[in-house]
Amino acid sequence: MAEYVLLHPEPGKILSDQLFALGIEFPCGGCSACGGCRVRLMSGTIPITEGMREALSEEELGEGWRLACQAETDGPVSLDIEQWSASILTDESRVAVEPSEGYGAVIDLGTTTLVVELVDLATGSVAGVLPGLNPQGRHGSDVMSRIEFDLREPGVLTSLIRRTLGAMLAELVRGRKPREVLICGNTVMHHLFCGESVEPLSHVPFRPSAPGERRFLAEELGWPEETHGAAVTFLPCAGGFVGSDLLAGLIACGMHQSETPMALMDLGTNGEIALGGRNGILCASTAAGPAFEGGRIRMGMRAGDGAIDRVEHDGSGLVCHVIGGSAPRGICGSGLVDAAAVSLETGAIGASGRLSNGAKSLSLAGAVSLSQADIRELQLAKGAVAAGMEVLRQEAGTEAPRVSSLHLAGAFGNYVRTGSARRIGLLPRWEAPVNPIGNSAVRGSRTLLLSPSRRQSLLDDLLRITRHVELGANPEFQEAFVENMIFP
Amino acid sequence: MADLAQLRDAIINGNAKAAAAVVDAAIAEGAEPMALIHGYMIPAMDEVGRRFECEEYFVPELLLSARAMKAALAPLRPLLTSSGVPPAGKVLIGTVKGDLHDIGKNLVSSLLEGGGFEVVDLGSDVSPRKFVEAAQSTGADIIALSALLTVTMPSMKYTIEALKEVGLRDKVKVIIGGAPVTQQYADQIGADGYSENATLAVALARRLMSGARQATA
Repeated sequence: MAEYVLLHPEPGKILSDQLFALGIEFPCGGCSACGGCRVRLMSGTIPITEGMREALSEEELGEGWRLACQAETDGPVSLDIEQWSASILTDESRVAVEPSEGYGAVIDLGTTTLVVELVDLATGSVAGVLPGLNPQGRHGSDVMSRIEFDLREPGVLTSLIRRTLGAMLAELVRGRKPREVLICGNTVMHHLFCGESVEPLSHVPFRPSAPGERRFLAEELGWPEETHGAAVTFLPCAGGFVGSDLLAGLIACGMHQSETPMALMDLGTNGEIALGGRNGILCASTAAGPAFEGGRIRMGMRAGDGAIDRVEHDGSGLVCHVIGGSAPRGICGSGLVDAAAVSLETGAIGASGRLSNGAKSLSLAGAVSLSQADIRELQLAKGAVAAGMEVLRQEAGTEAPRVSSLHLAGAFGNYVRTGSARRIGLLPRWEAPVNPIGNSAVRGSRTLLLSPSRRQSLLDDLLRITRHVELGANPEFQEAFVENMIFP
Repeated sequence: MADLAQLRDAIINGNAKAAAAVVDAAIAEGAEPMALIHGYMIPAMDEVGRRFECEEYFVPELLLSARAMKAALAPLRPLLTSSGVPPAGKVLIGTVKGDLHDIGKNLVSSLLEGGGFEVVDLGSDVSPRKFVEAAQSTGADIIALSALLTVTMPSMKYTIEALKEVGLRDKVKVIIGGAPVTQQYADQIGADGYSENATLAVALARRLMSGARQATA
């Protein structure tokens, strides 16, 4: 049974503000381009706009579907909210401790999700975790749309993220005042939080204006009194769009100490990949887009209740697993990869990605299906990631058989089935074992927090051996990208 | 006799080697280049475009077909030049300043060539000035601008303004495309046309050329 929300519009305010307060996200930034903010009108009226006509079919409009970003109304309306609460991956695994007194905190500032962790500096244990959604999400789901927004309305995103993180930390503190806070995030998140100009990141050669480590006092950031006195450090960026979240991930998987080459893939909204070992690491970001998180997929959603997260074939037909065991409402990234992998095996999808026998869609379970356009989105996303890794391998001159392990970070990497990911060609066909490592950004940041005397040399060493490769400028990438759109 | 139906199939199926082989054989037998192009190759690319439109084909197939078309055109080009057959039009194409994305631009470029246009590809990160200079030196009929980033879209507008400044604006048609670009934006900056994908860009260029010919006739 779906839950309905009754809204009384406030005069002079568009409905999207109220809906955002409820947690609805606007993946494209609220310009009716993606249809990701669908809501279903159960009672009341929301006039149909031109943008809704473009994003939704006649049938859907007739069923009451509207776009939240364009919704306007004079009277009370009740809505069925299609999106569901996000499942955000935290990390509480143990790391080496150099004991000191008091508390500290680490923050993973993701494009989509946030994790704030309070850490006992004496024992290294996690004293509290708070996950959340990045409030900048309403102004666009990927880093490029955030940059565009910041150029249009400077400062809004900076105060938004500072305020949210301050409030989250204050909520966790409860008398356990942190002495130190470490924040990691990609370069755009870094610049927006630190108040640096993102303009240089909006065009070639995509060089960050101030990629270094930045230090603040909690009070300078306007954070609540409970946090005052804390030294807040935003860790340095790796280069291009690749930020400290990837550097932290390298620490978490131990790439900087590895004799043999290893690979790391962090498949969030901003896909980041790295390949290398103690003698040198190459990293890159790929514009994989939000498909692995259900974005830009017609019935896509995050891994929450009602999402199909696993698809198998039992010999007679598709068997779909639904999170929460309820009726299927949509499909999340791991379900999408499974569905494609199974369909490639059964022949329902050809190697070119085309649905067989002229089918217009692929029925999964209940009313949930994949369209031809959804499969194309997946091909673009997996093509970008696979091509990026292939270019790094060529650039490093590493023979594939020498890669000793492949680490998958992030929520999607944790839940995706590696067999399916290999089948669709998202993961390279290397022999190396695949190891899901969860939220490696949080774990790596906590390692840095808990080793104050070694921190600087560790970061310096990492930055020295890590080289960023700009894929956009690389003709081999463009070639590999198109080749990798095809299913193996 | 070279089996010319195979030429059409080879282009539709993206088989560059087979396409070039049929053309070579046909030339050896004295086939008329324009008959090959208009009878088989352009219809094949039109079929590829149709399949892309109805979601049967995707970027990789489109690219393979464009490559096959290019391979088939290569041995014909010297014959066309020597026989003095004019191209469908001359197109200057490039990704605008600040932007490096060129997969879409390359596709449009190949498809235009396949459609019988002479294409001068300026690459990516092309400044308004470079477009203007190239327009002056080549005498292009059409300038095609591509952008994938919203933030680089204003470069399209600047390029049109730069053309106005040197008095070239009414001598060339400007067409624009790329993921964030819309018809509305094209109208706003005064471009002559917008295409939402590579195959429609060829139809647009043809339409503009026939319009231009009628205007001068």
